[in-house]
Amino acid sequence: MTQPNRRTFLKSSAVAAATAASIAPKAWAAGNQTTQIALVGCGGRGTSAAKNALRVEGNIKLVAMADVFKKNLANSFGNLQRIAKNDPERLDVAEECKFIGFDAYKKAVDLLSPGDVVILTTPPAFRWVHYKYAIEKGVNVFMEKPVTVDGPASRRMLELNKLAKEKNLKVGVGLMCRHCEARGELFDRIQNGEIGDINMLRAYRMAGPTASAASGKKPEGISDLMYQIKRFHSFLWLSGGAVSDFLIHNIDECCWMKNDWPVEAKASGGRHYRGEMIDQNFDTYSIEYTFKDGAKLLVNGRTIPGCHNEFASYAHGSKGMAVISTAAHTPAKPRIYKGHKEDAENLLWSFGRKERNPYQLEWDHLIEAIRNDKPYNEVDRGVQASVVTSMGRMAAHTGQVVTYDQMLNCDHAMSPGIENLTLESDSPLMPNDEGKYPIPFPGLVTEQEYEEF
Amino acid sequence: MHASQFNQQPRTGARSLILVLTWAFSIPVTVIAQDSRAGGKPVPFKKYAQKIAQTSVKIDMLPIPGGHFVMGSPAAEPKRKTDEGPQRVVEVEPFWMSKTEITWSMYDVWGEKKDIRRRELLGAKATKLDPAADAVTRPTPPYTDMSFGMGKGKYPAICMTQHAARKYCEWLSAKTGHYYRLPTEAEWEYACRAGSKTVYHFGDDVSKLADYAWFSDNSSEQYQPVGRKKPNAWGLHDMHGNVSEWVLDQYHKSYDPEQTKNPLAVPGKLFPRVVRGGGWDDSPDWLRSARRIASSEDWKEQDPQLPQSIWYHTDALSVGFRVVRPLQVPSASERRQKWDKTAPEQKDPPTDTIE
Repeated sequence: MTQPNRRTFLKSSAVAAATAASIAPKAWAAGNQTTQIALVGCGGRGTSAAKNALRVEGNIKLVAMADVFKKNLANSFGNLQRIAKNDPERLDVAEECKFIGFDAYKKAVDLLSPGDVVILTTPPAFRWVHYKYAIEKGVNVFMEKPVTVDGPASRRMLELNKLAKEKNLKVGVGLMCRHCEARGELFDRIQNGEIGDINMLRAYRMAGPTASAASGKKPEGISDLMYQIKRFHSFLWLSGGAVSDFLIHNIDECCWMKNDWPVEAKASGGRHYRGEMIDQNFDTYSIEYTFKDGAKLLVNGRTIPGCHNEFASYAHGSKGMAVISTAAHTPAKPRIYKGHKEDAENLLWSFGRKERNPYQLEWDHLIEAIRNDKPYNEVDRGVQASVVTSMGRMAAHTGQVVTYDQMLNCDHAMSPGIENLTLESDSPLMPNDEGKYPIPFPGLVTEQEYEEF
Repeated sequence: MHASQFNQQPRTGARSLILVLTWAFSIPVTVIAQDSRAGGKPVPFKKYAQKIAQTSVKIDMLPIPGGHFVMGSPAAEPKRKTDEGPQRVVEVEPFWMSKTEITWSMYDVWGEKKDIRRRELLGAKATKLDPAADAVTRPTPPYTDMSFGMGKGKYPAICMTQHAARKYCEWLSAKTGHYYRLPTEAEWEYACRAGSKTVYHFGDDVSKLADYAWFSDNSSEQYQPVGRKKPNAWGLHDMHGNVSEWVLDQYHKSYDPEQTKNPLAVPGKLFPRVVRGGGWDDSPDWLRSARRIASSEDWKEQDPQLPQSIWYHTDALSVGFRVVRPLQVPSASERRQKWDKTAPEQKDPPTDTIE
């Protein structure tokens, strides 16, 4: 895009949203309290979430940061300084409020008061540990997706969330597509029957190598645990790997349009190009989900360069089809067509307007709910999306049909003792003598996704 | 890259457009360049296809005669912007320019390490130049599909930063033994105009634009395969439209009237820099020969990571580039002081977080 239309719109819409927000919350405006933010997990995604937090209109500031890597935290702080150069008072993190270590999250949360927000953007294995503490301390939470990667953590998370709801905590989950206004209008139109009954949905995230999903052997000078955290997309216990981390958005937006969660999955996948890589991922995944009415959701994930690229979601109904998202996450450019071909002459509806950035909207909505004390808790839905994603992953890795209930109740705890890790700990997943980790063997290892010997 | 890979040529002043035109088009096989790979064997200034080792990819290169032209637009030109001046006579030296925008096929050899992977997995033979080419930095993987579902292969590569485009040229130079770089803004406009002084290289009649260009009215809201529209007088396709093209220059609000020979605004800051030609999502006036487009930090708006990548402009869906190869190869020190000079240095954020 070379013309400034979109940017101009973003700026003016941010102002419009800010104006609306500053008119509505009388209770908050009267008190004029500052919402304090703590960032736990200072990687790229966490830093960007903090950026969006600091761009919310009204009194808000970052007061604490936590990570297990000193350099991560320093880089993050440096980047936020550049972001906040026009509002330096919004970045109020003194040296003594920067914490390093596996217990750093506690120290950061301890600096908050009820009503403040902690950002949980570490790899998802730690999510329930950190969420538990935030609930104990009574602070609001923004947590990145996925929120769980295995059965035990999913069940624990749902239990914990009952407490959070009792305490009226506001909790956002980083499935930002749910906050996209264009998809929201498409959802309403689909629910109104504009494409008829949904029979099939399709989702694709097929691109080249993505993030840290492929890793070589651990170098000298770093422990297994710390290396794995650095390369967290490579290890199922930390992130759920390429399926959980990369495919959850497209899976979630399809389930949103279907207004249901699938009950089972079957899947295939394999490793062709892993070579000397030691990570646990496949190169390619094809998942078929089934909803309780028999409708299907087909999901294709691939991280092989040079192949057909597609990063989009579609819904097919008895009357026509909808494009849910067109390319990546934003802008979604949703559309409805008569029939099942994307021909211009069959176009019945398109959002047609510039789309506001959903990464910012999810923050505007969370803070607005806090200031106006509106019910706001996305965790159950986040767990459901995480379990559905995990069930597709497990179906591919085991070669078996996996139901939602089997996934939720699966006893394979991938990260036992995670709450007690220290900087000196062994990892919950240690390599063999050759520096290699167990990988899935569909049809050979079928009760869980990998076995250690 | 080793300085010795490019042999400096004696300067053949291109004072006269007529002389150069005669030279380039009337006298076949005029020996004026040397191929370092062939040990200094002279090569003619004529069109050729640049092969890329270990792949079937070729880049068609056309000779562009040096000469003088009036850069910028006259005050009376409709839709003119004030940054398109002051108009001045500029001299540029001869160069080859890629006939089309660099396509994904051409770009991905570097970006996706296709040459290296075809050596490793298929047993393709390495050349003597490969060690130097492999030593050039390649981009980190994008966080998402940078073609945004619009197609790859024959479609133009997009969404790269100027740094990425420069690095591609550095790699292509090392890989082939010829000095490739982005065009200067002056070279770009000179090549686009191809002798014309009109609003577009084919004249002033905007109703003919669709014969030569993909733009907002005819692009079906996405880029199109390169080379499908009519070329300009010098055989270059898609100089107007399809994707805007990176040049080497920093964007200033007016041209430096003092710089009239091989002008180049050496960049000292990251934004704004210049792209030219307009793209598939632009209106006709953005495609004018003289139109300048300034890059902006907002071109990274949807990159969800911080720090944002030095390789991708996630929102520049109609920005690509084409390459040039100067006929007279500048010396290593000339390249360092002018043609390859850029600041601030672009470095990936540290990946080593061990501490």
